[in-house]
Amino acid sequence: MSTLRVTGLSKTFAGTRALVDVDLEVRHGEIHALVGGNGSGKSTLVKVLAGVYQPDPGGTIEIDATVADARDWSPGKAFEHGLRFVHQNPAVFGDLTVAENLAVGNRFPTGLGGRIRWKTLDAHARALIERYHIPATPRTRLRALNPASRTMVAVARALADQDRECVLVLDEPTTSLPAGEVDLLLEALRRCAIAGQTILYISHRLDEVLALADRVTVLRDGERVVTAGAAELTEAKLVEHIAGRPVALTAATAPPDLSAAEEVLRVLDVHGPPLRGVGLTLRRGEIVGVAGLLGSGRTELLQTIFGARPYASGAIEVAGRPVRFRSPADAMDLGIAHVPEDRGTQAVFAPMTVRQNISAGGVARYFKRLRLQHGWERREAQDAMRGFLVRAASDRAPMATLSGGNQQKVVLARWIRRQPSVLLLDEPTQGVDVAAREEIYALIRQAAADGAGVLLVANDFTELRRLCHRVLVLRGGRITAELTGDDLDSHKMTELAHLSKAGTS
Amino acid sequence: MTDVKTEPALTMVDPPPRRNVLVYIGERYALLVLLVAVVVFFSVWPRTSLAYSQPDSYRNILSSQTILAVIALGSIVPLVCGQFDLSVGSVALMSSVFTAASYANWHFPMVAGVLFGVALGAAVGLVNGLVVTRFGVNALITTLGSASIVSGIVTWYSGGTSIIQGIPTSLTNFGTGNWLGVPKVVYLLVIVALLVWYLLEHTPFGRYLYSVGSNFESARLVGLNIPSLVLRSFVVSGAAAGLGGILLLASSGAGNPQASVGNTLTLAALAAAFLGATAVHPGRFNVLGTLLAIFFLASAITGLTYAGVKDYIHDLFNGVALVLAVGISAVLNRRRQS
Repeated sequence: MSTLRVTGLSKTFAGTRALVDVDLEVRHGEIHALVGGNGSGKSTLVKVLAGVYQPDPGGTIEIDATVADARDWSPGKAFEHGLRFVHQNPAVFGDLTVAENLAVGNRFPTGLGGRIRWKTLDAHARALIERYHIPATPRTRLRALNPASRTMVAVARALADQDRECVLVLDEPTTSLPAGEVDLLLEALRRCAIAGQTILYISHRLDEVLALADRVTVLRDGERVVTAGAAELTEAKLVEHIAGRPVALTAATAPPDLSAAEEVLRVLDVHGPPLRGVGLTLRRGEIVGVAGLLGSGRTELLQTIFGARPYASGAIEVAGRPVRFRSPADAMDLGIAHVPEDRGTQAVFAPMTVRQNISAGGVARYFKRLRLQHGWERREAQDAMRGFLVRAASDRAPMATLSGGNQQKVVLARWIRRQPSVLLLDEPTQGVDVAAREEIYALIRQAAADGAGVLLVANDFTELRRLCHRVLVLRGGRITAELTGDDLDSHKMTELAHLSKAGTS
Repeated sequence: MTDVKTEPALTMVDPPPRRNVLVYIGERYALLVLLVAVVVFFSVWPRTSLAYSQPDSYRNILSSQTILAVIALGSIVPLVCGQFDLSVGSVALMSSVFTAASYANWHFPMVAGVLFGVALGAAVGLVNGLVVTRFGVNALITTLGSASIVSGIVTWYSGGTSIIQGIPTSLTNFGTGNWLGVPKVVYLLVIVALLVWYLLEHTPFGRYLYSVGSNFESARLVGLNIPSLVLRSFVVSGAAAGLGGILLLASSGAGNPQASVGNTLTLAALAAAFLGATAVHPGRFNVLGTLLAIFFLASAITGLTYAGVKDYIHDLFNGVALVLAVGISAVLNRRRQS
């Protein structure tokens, strides 16, 4: 008997097919794991189930034999039919007590004049605490609990109304947990399942998926590849399903011989959470990729090199000189540029003009004869807009009016224009349409050809394969492998980024 | 997917989605239109036209608003980088009383007293800035507190009595006299306005402040030293408030330690700054908008006073202007973003 059944679900984003005719069946009382690589469609599927995304026509969602057209699905309907979601960083409040956390979002029992009936609240809380074996009392502050128990409080809250059967959807619940806590959480979840709770478990940690789940569904490129019992699978087999057959495509150009090129950056054994001894070198003209999953430390690595994040120990050398940056300004002075991961909150000045966005960080240059030479700034900005293929009404258009791709090109222009010796790129094509993506690839290649050493972090391993001369695999805060030449395929990267027993180098 | 063009755009494509041109102009110059309308109305309305259309009336509005304008122009500097300075009015009060004291009790020469008043304001700004940047205290709280502290110091020092002796006549002449038919203080206001405009629009410092105000994290990641910028912005607003205090002394001829004056000035300055941010460059604090806002509010209030409305109209009008201005900017911003 199945509790949740999804059939024929597709979702298209601006020409990209994130989900293609996906079927999924979760049986009553089982833990069903949903796995897939970066961009395989797991998150999209979860968001469709939650009613956040509206899928393409044709799909259905069936819960407890009630069939609904997936297009009519909504957050309200998802809740009504008993789907309960707990996300990666559950919304729990450290300063509130466990009882308060359990009541938030459900309902505080109230008495006369809206007074909270604390005794009833505590009684509810005590029942939930017992059912989910949370080591706390109703009056314990959440901050005092260990991370796994905090997640269980979120689970308990999601499942608080017991008058109906629920399906619990857990979206990457272990990503932000330390290793020891993961086992505690898995143990708690197993107990839930034994008590009859149906769970859909989304994760990219294959070891924990195999340890926890009854059955596993693998998604790749938006398609369901396989659904199988966990007992029939091994980590290696799962990786094969996740990565698929390597696509027979070579890099667009033969990699140039860079062994003689001057070294622009050297990172030696850098520690500082979450980095655990990262070392790498980067040469002039080289594009080096960093392949890693969410939480591997890839973003923090770039921030550390840029001086935007302190590190505990280790050394960084720029052009052979040891450096210790205390701020991004220090790093910029030595020719380091950094395009951050989240364009909207970290790179863009939305209400300011395109011109001002391009010259941000280098405005002082235009201060001549006691005033900003706006004409000079405008000419250079317009040149940059042409050079970096920015499509905008004019250089005076507010940045907020540009499309994501054009905003990203403005940010790239801001940095590449400075002719950096080291160019750090964190997800340079995130939220960018396909056409703009190709243009951004060309701009990155050009920057390298002009003499920058490029360190590129990307979620999309195909992107790394297409751009990079070399790819470093980052896992758990250290570089675990280096891929060059024929090894440079996304299959291999997926395998190494996922596998827990990948060798260290 | 195959028909997507990838060739470079050598021309700027997509002509601006020119919203209704009238709306655009209306947004920018509504305040100017309102100012003109108010002046015309009170000059024509029989109940006020006689008093209102006198040249003295304009001179009065101009000179009485100069103090406020100097303080308001200073206060927009921290506002540009996202920080409130609620101490400007009290700092002006402090500067006027202590500058008066420097003449009466310590026999400073005129210029030395002026420099002393400005430096005093800058010093309070420095302390505000240090508390905000070093200890990470919210600027609203910091300056609310320092406003109260400063008022307390003023009352303690003066014992609540005005200082009226020894104020140099050169200073009071400047505060009350005219030159070429225009109050002398207005020339000073023009200089201050030009300076603040220069600082905000024509120096990297101003651009950095706008960047910090627009996106803190982006500003940090393009290498800006945010604490130093915020600190300096408070020093500028403190110094401007100090200068405003000297103008207060020059026009009244006395260092009058009346705490309520400080609070009124702060509220009026912020009302003008926010109302000004809806005009000329909608969505950002700017010099010309602030000046328009001040003279719009003053013209309206003066007209209503001539029409016989009592003093409370002052508070009422400034309060309404502040809330309305912030409301309008919020609505416009939302519309601009969608």
